[in-house]
Amino acid sequence: MEDLTSSAQTFRGDRVAAEDLSDEQLLRLFADGDAAAARVLTDRLGPRCFSVALRMLNNRAEAEDVTQEAMMRLWKVAPDWVPGQARISTWLYRVTLNLCIDQRRRKSADPLDGTPEPQDDSAGVVERMQQKARLDALNVALAQLPERQRQAVVLRHIEELSNPEIAEIMRISVEAVESLVARGKRALAAILSGRREELGYDDFR
Amino acid sequence: MTISDDARDLDLLFAEARRSSPELPDDLAVRILTDAEAVRLERARPAVPANRGLFHGLYGALGGWQGLGGLVAASVAGVWVGFSAPSFLPDPASYFVSQDASYMVADLGLEPTFLEELE
Repeated sequence: MEDLTSSAQTFRGDRVAAEDLSDEQLLRLFADGDAAAARVLTDRLGPRCFSVALRMLNNRAEAEDVTQEAMMRLWKVAPDWVPGQARISTWLYRVTLNLCIDQRRRKSADPLDGTPEPQDDSAGVVERMQQKARLDALNVALAQLPERQRQAVVLRHIEELSNPEIAEIMRISVEAVESLVARGKRALAAILSGRREELGYDDFR
Repeated sequence: MTISDDARDLDLLFAEARRSSPELPDDLAVRILTDAEAVRLERARPAVPANRGLFHGLYGALGGWQGLGGLVAASVAGVWVGFSAPSFLPDPASYFVSQDASYMVADLGLEPTFLEELE
């Protein structure tokens, strides 16, 4: 860790330049032995992985493990990365989603492994915090969607990716993405409409 | 409630979710960077696999553990026979040490006269 800190410090003087580099350039630097490049990539890509994993799994500890594993695969693939083959973020989103699916399968195979976050409205003090309640409600509703709809909706409306990029991540056509997003949103609206007052949208608007 | 109300509510909810997207927890960032450092250091150490490769090459050429085991057993047997030869085996050393030519020829079953004829 000492080595890591010192190289990050040498990079910090040149922080703007590092931020200007593309993900691919940074990954090349890392493959060539530059520890500070890993730091910039982690700052840039780590939160996206974590955000998607958290929306897909609805469990913080599991989302952290998936994020760590997805980033580990990035570090390992670095020397073999073929420039221009795909965007690194696209590749990483796909790896993250697949790890989430594996995680959910493992969990359903072993019901004792991993306890989901409490999403219940009886969450005590939090109950009155309407914003928290609204976001919890969204997570619970998302969790009820079929896997592919959920992926498409999260990538489109939380990560704000374009349909063509989502199509690449999910390896389906743009039309299929549009269809999944539309169906997912309809299903979400139906789940949430019964909780309109409870969610306080009238105040919110 | 209309469909457009639902759609608008959902859009508001998504916007709120985007604003509250989770930060990367510090301890997770440390775990990720520790992994990165381990991978980087592993890659920066080509000398270690090279050394291991030499021994591995030799080990492999001798047939792995079975080959090496046979080799060791044969060596031990050789040393044992050297120290304590069974009585039915001739001692080959006696053929080369302090023996004269006539004795050698006699061993071949020829008469000593044969030697005289040669001379």
